[in-house]
Amino acid sequence: MPTSSSPRTWLRSQLGLILIVLALAALPFVIGLLNGQSISDVLANAKGNAKFIQGLMIEVFILAIFAISYDLILGITGLLSFGHAMFFAVGSYLTGVALKSFGWSLGQTILAVLAAGVIQALLFGIVLPRVKGITFALVTLGLASVFDILIKTRELGEYTGSDVGLQGIPRPPILDPTDQRLRFYFVALAFTLLVFLLYKRFVDSPTGRVCIAIRENENRARMLGYNTFYFKLAALTLSSLTAAMAGLLNALYKPIVSPEIAGLGFTVDGLLMLLIGGMGTLSGAMVGAGIFRLLDFYFDRWFGEASSFLIGGLYVLLVLFVPYGFVGAWRARALDFRRGRARLLHLFGGRGGD
Amino acid sequence: MLSPLLSVQAIHTFIGQFHILEGVSVEVPAGSIVALLGRNGAGKTTTLKSILGLTPPRQGKVLFDGQEIQGRRSFEIAALGIGFVPEHRAIFRDLSVEENLKIAERNKGDLERKADFIFGLFPDLKRLIKLPGTNLSGGQQQMLAVARALVPDNKLLLIDEPSEGLAPVIIESMMEAIRQLSADSTVLLVEQNFLVASRLAETYVIIEEGRSVKSGSMKDLVDDKETIYRYLGAA
Repeated sequence: MPTSSSPRTWLRSQLGLILIVLALAALPFVIGLLNGQSISDVLANAKGNAKFIQGLMIEVFILAIFAISYDLILGITGLLSFGHAMFFAVGSYLTGVALKSFGWSLGQTILAVLAAGVIQALLFGIVLPRVKGITFALVTLGLASVFDILIKTRELGEYTGSDVGLQGIPRPPILDPTDQRLRFYFVALAFTLLVFLLYKRFVDSPTGRVCIAIRENENRARMLGYNTFYFKLAALTLSSLTAAMAGLLNALYKPIVSPEIAGLGFTVDGLLMLLIGGMGTLSGAMVGAGIFRLLDFYFDRWFGEASSFLIGGLYVLLVLFVPYGFVGAWRARALDFRRGRARLLHLFGGRGGD
Repeated sequence: MLSPLLSVQAIHTFIGQFHILEGVSVEVPAGSIVALLGRNGAGKTTTLKSILGLTPPRQGKVLFDGQEIQGRRSFEIAALGIGFVPEHRAIFRDLSVEENLKIAERNKGDLERKADFIFGLFPDLKRLIKLPGTNLSGGQQQMLAVARALVPDNKLLLIDEPSEGLAPVIIESMMEAIRQLSADSTVLLVEQNFLVASRLAETYVIIEEGRSVKSGSMKDLVDDKETIYRYLGAA
């Protein structure tokens, strides 16, 4: 039955993650050194390529949190939502309005965003027992569209900035993205890592396993005595909370909260990130977010107006030739490799197991 | 005669606008194996699904352990102590063998308590415990589907086509497993393979075009070639 793993085995299994985190922690300093800056320059947030790359990576982290939150409900639990952008946008707009119009502290704003995260999950949860599949997707799109329309109305323009977007949000000095860029970078990195570990824990927990069972066959999960509604609601709530917190980081980092983040297009961006990285893999969502943002940035820089066309073509090729995403394909190959190795060992050495 | 653990009384079930069950009655005495027989499309699987509330009956009664369960939600019915082994080796393919078994626990420690019994019936599963369900062969997946239903303390097991698509040698071990587990549990078995059903069940109910048309002792049915030919198409 379940075997306990030693700390050494655990460390070995997490080696990839540890190396990636260390590399990301070192990235600002390495970029700084490569561009002739000293470590103290980087620590002092001096202008230069290191600061610029930190900014780009902060955007990647925010998108990665958004993408992993979408992966939990779509890739893990199998709930197709076309309104996921709303979870993110509510966090962003609420942060902007709370800091700018209400003059709330960062702590109060975080609490408000968490409360909003729960409320919007419950709102989606109301329709959960009644609709499923594409109908659920359309209902969530409808709910998100209402929010999209609301933030663009002139009547609320004083708070939301209407079509133009919400500008002039006062940043807490402790997390000012200009003066404290490096601190913001590490906060975003730490939060991304925390979300990833939390999600891994959730998916590996009995509740997460039931979510996977629901994705595979909800009736089968019910036949085991599970009221699947509560499990879907749990996934939805965790996802909504996380996306709203990503929205909070977005509002703190970006000079303007654009209404585009509330539209269907942003949900589709999230879907694209999952397809690139590998749906239902968690780490794939993060890889997908990185590729998505970096491709967008560098293609725009290199090819200008032609970049959208080229990126579109590239995504078509990716979906055709890497249908399970990069992480999905990697896992499949690793499994094939392990099977092949076991077969060879069995053939030549009489061991290797099954 | 033992008191019936399950009593299905003249149920009528619709799927969409189609009237699938037009009066099915089944009595399953406690501690017995009852076979639900009939041709393809007769309504055997729908009967199991109606008992479980997946396709709730519109008319008639389903009594389990003395209480009416028709109209209740399927997870509530399952939690009363009814295990279901669906057709087509219905496991969770993305979960490992161990996770497939663990997910069926109704109380913490169910699997550990039953491990010896389950792995005694299906030794292969112990060997493959960490493997994802998708990597198992058809026979191993069917064993896992049956084993999963054994994890919690179910009073009644509904088993749908356990021999479907299996090699003869696997069918033999599956039959042996069902025979052993019936010592502690009651089984309602849907089986196309009459040979398998006749060797396992003590009583039978034949369903024809959504109606239960004949029932009785399996021993009598084995000798009744005319009934077998008429309703099951086998001689």
